[in-house]
Amino acid sequence: MPSKSVIRLTVNGDLHEIAVSPMETLNQVIRDGLRLTGTKRGCTSGSCGVCTINDERGQAILSCISLAVEWDGRSITTVEGVERDGKLHPLQQAFLELGAVQCGVCTPGLIMSAMGLLNTNPHPDQRAIDEALAGAICRCTGHIKVKKAVAHAIQQIAAQAATQAAGAEPHGPPA
Amino acid sequence: MARRPDLHAVGKNQPRLDGFAKLSGRSEFSDDVQLPGMLRGRVVRAGISHGRIVNIDISAALRVRGVKSIVTVDDKPNPIIGMYQPLLNRTVRFIGQEIAAVAATDDDAAFEAASLVKVQYEPLPAVMDLEKALVPGAPQLHAKAPGNLAWEANEAFDEPDAVFAASDRIIESSYASNPSHNCYAEFHVCVADFSRADKLTVWSPTQSAVLFQKTLATAFGLTEGNVRMMTLNTGGAFTGRGMARPHHFIAALLSRKARRPVKLRSYSDEEFMMGRAGGRAQYRFRTGVMRDGRLRALEADLLVDAGAYIETQMLFPRITAPFFHLLYKVDAIRYRARLVYTNNLPYEWHHGGGIAQMHFGWGQHLDLVAREVGLDPVEFHLMNAVEKGHTTRKGVTFASCGLKECIQKAAKKAGWKRKYGKLPPNKGIGIAIGAMASGAKGLYKHDTSAAFIKVGEDGTVSLLTGIPDMGQGSHTTMAIIAAEVLGIEPVDVTIIAGDTDVTPFDLGAFSQRGTFTTGNAVKAAAEDARSQLLKVAAARFDYKPAQVVFRARQVYPKGRPEQGIAFKQLVYDTLHSREGRAVMGRGFYNSPKEVGSMAYSFGAQIAEVTVDPDTGFVRVDRMTVAHDLGRAINPRVVEGQIDGQVFSGMSQVLYEEVLMDDGQPLNPSRLEYKLPRAFEVPEVDHLLIETIDPYGPFGAKEVGEGPIVCTVPAIANAVAMAVGEQIREMPISPWRVLRAVSRQQDQDDDAA
Repeated sequence: MPSKSVIRLTVNGDLHEIAVSPMETLNQVIRDGLRLTGTKRGCTSGSCGVCTINDERGQAILSCISLAVEWDGRSITTVEGVERDGKLHPLQQAFLELGAVQCGVCTPGLIMSAMGLLNTNPHPDQRAIDEALAGAICRCTGHIKVKKAVAHAIQQIAAQAATQAAGAEPHGPPA
Repeated sequence: MARRPDLHAVGKNQPRLDGFAKLSGRSEFSDDVQLPGMLRGRVVRAGISHGRIVNIDISAALRVRGVKSIVTVDDKPNPIIGMYQPLLNRTVRFIGQEIAAVAATDDDAAFEAASLVKVQYEPLPAVMDLEKALVPGAPQLHAKAPGNLAWEANEAFDEPDAVFAASDRIIESSYASNPSHNCYAEFHVCVADFSRADKLTVWSPTQSAVLFQKTLATAFGLTEGNVRMMTLNTGGAFTGRGMARPHHFIAALLSRKARRPVKLRSYSDEEFMMGRAGGRAQYRFRTGVMRDGRLRALEADLLVDAGAYIETQMLFPRITAPFFHLLYKVDAIRYRARLVYTNNLPYEWHHGGGIAQMHFGWGQHLDLVAREVGLDPVEFHLMNAVEKGHTTRKGVTFASCGLKECIQKAAKKAGWKRKYGKLPPNKGIGIAIGAMASGAKGLYKHDTSAAFIKVGEDGTVSLLTGIPDMGQGSHTTMAIIAAEVLGIEPVDVTIIAGDTDVTPFDLGAFSQRGTFTTGNAVKAAAEDARSQLLKVAAARFDYKPAQVVFRARQVYPKGRPEQGIAFKQLVYDTLHSREGRAVMGRGFYNSPKEVGSMAYSFGAQIAEVTVDPDTGFVRVDRMTVAHDLGRAINPRVVEGQIDGQVFSGMSQVLYEEVLMDDGQPLNPSRLEYKLPRAFEVPEVDHLLIETIDPYGPFGAKEVGEGPIVCTVPAIANAVAMAVGEQIREMPISPWRVLRAVSRQQDQDDDAA
């Protein structure tokens, strides 16, 4: 049995000290160690996208092909870290309202893929949306409502930002 | 869509009740289950196609630290699953067959031990091709199936020979479909806890907890009640999760031997060994038609590669045969289907249940018939389509039928007249029609779903149902139906499901019985609860029960909402009376039919495609989907069902093929086994045709598998128009398109 080493990993803002073996993946640490099972285990070879999480820059990464020992001192966000205080993120809300959720296994991966897009490109066009979702396979929805939900959420977030910016102006014109 | 003003919950878009949990990472699937002391399992699979096992040596595997149990053919009892297949078998008949299995304290130990199990074989000649398997002298798979013929079904109605002879034209064509895989988002997984010899608990995705209970109980000598199925959420099913499979039995065997819970889960390419979706099938169709386009006689001959064992494939002929009766008014029908044993993986079901795959050929054949008699396919389908009140040769009468309306509305929406025959080169448009039963009468004598409703003191409702939700949204649909009857909101309903110790009987979510059958059961249970409340309400208002209205969480005399009281007040008063009535509704539904269904859905779809003549790639530009679903209980979920089937149909007809080399899958991963990505899916127009079926709950029929039956042939027909000839083998992969394109170019050159 190869010996374990301890890593310090921040998950959804909480710091954890975890003993990991050299072959252990982030996916195993998150699911089996921390019991955060919102992140799914799929193909375990980086081809289906259900294990997608975000790194500290907000980028989408595949937890099933990320070795945990390489993540010492780093920080990740899983799907459990997206909804706050019982309130869904606008992206999740759009998925819910526009019917982009079916069986729910790929859903966390789709949310984290789309979050990765929003975090790194606030004004993506359809091509960028399509590319961000290309690594996540969804058999139930056929991606059709997923694409609509992501586009809708981007509009909502932009509109909210515009309203907030207008409201922040001390003597600005009425929006 | 016509909204009935007296319906307050049915027909409104209701977001999924489990949506919050699924979106926030809280919903639990079988692979998320962790039990104290749980072991991890690993299966040892055969590396040869056909042979006898001379020896299994597990001594090295047993020495691996952490190994708690190893099961082999020597373990007794070794249950028989399917036809003539002991679970762990001394004869190997396909690459990937389960030979032994290991359970250990962690995955690494289980993998290591499994790799140390040594198996010695005495090889036998193998046969992979289904036609070669039927040739005299071919290697034989099972002594009980001489000539490798596993199953044969023959049906004839009226006088096919005489009607063919009386037809003006007889048109014949042949097609084939190839091996495929379901690619569920949730991989095959089973957690079994058989620590106690008298109780087996199983966590696994399923379409039918009841059928799993039955087969597992029989295999292990238990009663059904001593097998507890925990379904939790099911991560997609697509016809493939109806029956317990080898991994379920193996997980139970390992757990029984180790006296600890065991999780058995497939890893990457193993998923394609456990998967077993569609296999190779060949279809020959023959049609007798009059000069004016009137159909007279239909004949079909199906040859299906069953693979090495039969688990449930014998249902294939029973499921596909009725479809020759459902679409067209004809005078005679003949049908033959043969299942053939080969040394391939046991092939079973893919999305569309064999029906969509058969329609790849059937829909193209009918398109050919239309063109041979010089008719536009839309006119041809309209001329021959069944309608409300029609009785098929098999004796099924359609109480509702919107087939013609589907054809007309789809044609209008897609601009068929403007486009058909007038498109520029490499563009194509195609139509196909389909039908589907809502219900499964015939598998057993009954087709029962039951439901139980508990009305809480505060007016909230718990609905207990045995129907699994594998993404189709049935739980939300059931909440809407209960809410409609009780005059409350769907969000007031809590669904209790997925545990057979608690939930009432339900055959399951297959054969499109969910909305229709379970929906009727839930409606009955809600009506039972309401009738208990009505008594108190009617007395209070001094009105007849029939004149009391339940709506918007209020109960009031008809036409006098101002006299109303809150639903929860009525519930409270009913309990806090001298009678102390606790309100609990029960209901069940079973089709009064001997076989078949009370309700059939119908559909028509038009596909528009662009073919790239240089690469052979087919892009689906637009799908126009018209589906007669009786009534849309939850329209946005209905659209989602349609979208998913358009995707899956497009994927099957254009992309999906498990390439086999002497029984070995060559592309067993989601990178190599291609599905369409987000940027390849088309725009979809949804036309929901509401014919309000007299037997469906609030008029609803199925929408879970009817649409895909049309998608597959509609796209094939559009490609045929773009390319100039039919491509008769599925999938229509780029290389098959290129071959057809170059053949067409050669013909053009010859003509020039």
